[in-house]
Amino acid sequence: MLGRGVKRKWSCLEELEAEELPNAPVIEEKKQDGEEDRGEQQSKSNMSHLQQRQLVLSLCLEKLQHYQAGMELSLRRSVLLINTLRQIQEEMRCDGSDVRLHSVNPDVCLLRDDFREDESVTCPGCAEGDRESPSLSPPLSPEMPFQEANISLDLQKSLPNTVSNTFSDAGNAMGYLSDLALDDIFEDIDTSMYETSDLPPAWGAGSLWPVSVSFWPDEDAKSRSSAGTLQSCLLDLNELDHIMDILVKS
Amino acid sequence: MNVREKKERQSGEPCMIWDATLESLAWKSRGWEQVCRYQDLEPADSSMEEENETRKINNSFLRDHNYATEADIISTVEFNSTGELLATGDKGGRVVVFQREQESKTQPHRRGEYNVYSTFQSHEPEFDYLKSLEIEEKINKIKWLPQQNAAYFLLSTNDKTVKLWKISERDKRPEGYNLKDEDGRFRDPSTITTLRVPVLQPMDLMVEATARRVFSNAHTYHINSISVNSDLQTFISTDDLRVNLWNLEITDRSFNIVDIKPANMEELTEVITSAEFHPQQCHTFAYTSSKGCIRLCDMRQAALCDKHCKYFEEPEDPSTRSFFSEIISSISDVKFSHNGRYLMTRDYLTVKVWDLQMENKPLETYQVHDYLRGKLCSLYENDCIFDKFECVWNGSDSVIMTGSYNNFFRMFDRNTKRDVTLEASRENSKPRAILKPRKVCVGGKRRKDEISVDSLDFSKKILHTTWHPHENIIAVAATNNLYIFQDKVN
Repeated sequence: MLGRGVKRKWSCLEELEAEELPNAPVIEEKKQDGEEDRGEQQSKSNMSHLQQRQLVLSLCLEKLQHYQAGMELSLRRSVLLINTLRQIQEEMRCDGSDVRLHSVNPDVCLLRDDFREDESVTCPGCAEGDRESPSLSPPLSPEMPFQEANISLDLQKSLPNTVSNTFSDAGNAMGYLSDLALDDIFEDIDTSMYETSDLPPAWGAGSLWPVSVSFWPDEDAKSRSSAGTLQSCLLDLNELDHIMDILVKS
Repeated sequence: MNVREKKERQSGEPCMIWDATLESLAWKSRGWEQVCRYQDLEPADSSMEEENETRKINNSFLRDHNYATEADIISTVEFNSTGELLATGDKGGRVVVFQREQESKTQPHRRGEYNVYSTFQSHEPEFDYLKSLEIEEKINKIKWLPQQNAAYFLLSTNDKTVKLWKISERDKRPEGYNLKDEDGRFRDPSTITTLRVPVLQPMDLMVEATARRVFSNAHTYHINSISVNSDLQTFISTDDLRVNLWNLEITDRSFNIVDIKPANMEELTEVITSAEFHPQQCHTFAYTSSKGCIRLCDMRQAALCDKHCKYFEEPEDPSTRSFFSEIISSISDVKFSHNGRYLMTRDYLTVKVWDLQMENKPLETYQVHDYLRGKLCSLYENDCIFDKFECVWNGSDSVIMTGSYNNFFRMFDRNTKRDVTLEASRENSKPRAILKPRKVCVGGKRRKDEISVDSLDFSKKILHTTWHPHENIIAVAATNNLYIFQDKVN
């Protein structure tokens, strides 16, 4: 499989990488020189950044899914993959909220250096979210529109199984659970004890899933995006918590 | 059980490199020469030319079946504390121990060679019925115990079980039993008319390996390291989330001294990647994480060492931030210096030397293959970014060594700040040939002997290396080849 040199899927990848390396110092210089070229330079490198992000995201999902198929997982590898996934997801959220809140160039959010300096363009969520611990998910407004629908659908389908399978002590033997009708199993569980005031922990636990997407893949994602279904979102996430608890308890 | 094997030798061609002395590498020697190379046999249907040459060398490696060369991939190498023995573990669960050729006045040039001393099957594949998963027999780590009597002891581990092996020589056997024949059959007691005392007669040397202890059922996750304490009574075994302390005599229980498993596994963002005891302080050990930090713990403080007493981490450089920052910061190996004042960590692109007194940044950082920084996306794609390289100190802590791709390995002299890239490959070196330094060309213009980044073979990686405790002899594992090099002094 691995021959001499490294084969890449996309031919544009070489260009992207070739661009990135010289671009990094160049951007620094440009900032000092003047503002005229800045937008152009940024949009060039940020397009490649977005493309790379998309690539890394799909690779991440691919790797996580591939490794469920009958092989024992390396926990280190899984954790690193999922952390990368979370980082990308957080960036995507940051992008999305930026576009919504301000009509400024959304790429500004991607330049981490600008985060702390330029407060007006950072969304409150990203300002809170620490780079070093991407697992902390800031509370998100439920009305946030869903920018990258394709990617979110991917996440929605693969992540629930991915995470539960990755981290559960039973390893990938949990895969069969996804085939069961989980509704039937848990219908007699009393969920009234889960109060809706527990908003922050619920968000925190459900940090991997974009707000407007439900746990159940067969439900319509669009119907969730309106504020009126916030309640059902919360219930979904509470159920999710409960299920995760059961699945991963050791 | 094996008899000793001698290996064949060929003459090499001298070549010019750097200088070194034996005490501290002041670069006065002629260079690193290959002492010997061991390789497992390839499948019978292979059409490679070197086939005949390799067949002659190491019949002791022959497995019952020829099919799987993957089982012969070396997964760990380790010199013992005197350097007399060198152990290798492979993916097939075997341990091969080499012994240094004794000094001989008639053949002084043979000093420094290592011959096969013992080969044994340490671990077998197992099946975990509860999880329906196979437990690999691959040997992850071997650690020697210092020699206390005529026998040699080592710890070998796979993902789940640590075993203590005793390797002993037998060169005499008792002969003249009363009740048994020489071939072991019992004699009819009525035919015995005299009594005799059995006598020990010399026999061909036999090296036996026996499993003396089996330390099992203590790890839910995969064991990544073991480390013998300086008290020679205890050792630790480390998996992704826990560190367990064992007594070498007691196999049915261990103490859990570090546990980073979160209550909710979904919150897991960091795993333990390696751990090692301090070489002199029996109460101190260090463990590293996938986030690039090192924690030094004192076992005297509490039974559970979740609270570190020192925390080493270098703040991230924001200009090099990428999607892969965390992955490449994950530490793959940690080694204390022999003097116990420093520790060294290896992450994907660098080796760092830390002063135990300074926690906020490393003392020294060495770039192993920084030209890969621009290739991280491809390396992520082909999974190479998850490769775990090891690092090693020389005996005097003045030089550090680690592996890279394309069968390259790198040495850094901490005093002179010079570094060298060498290659362990059959094509480029023969026994006794001196290694030529290699260079990777990053820019456009490639010089004659340079190799460009795009031509590097990422399937040829040197993950495991070890350095003789006192002399400049190194062992390098390149897939299923073991190379032994020594520093040739004029």
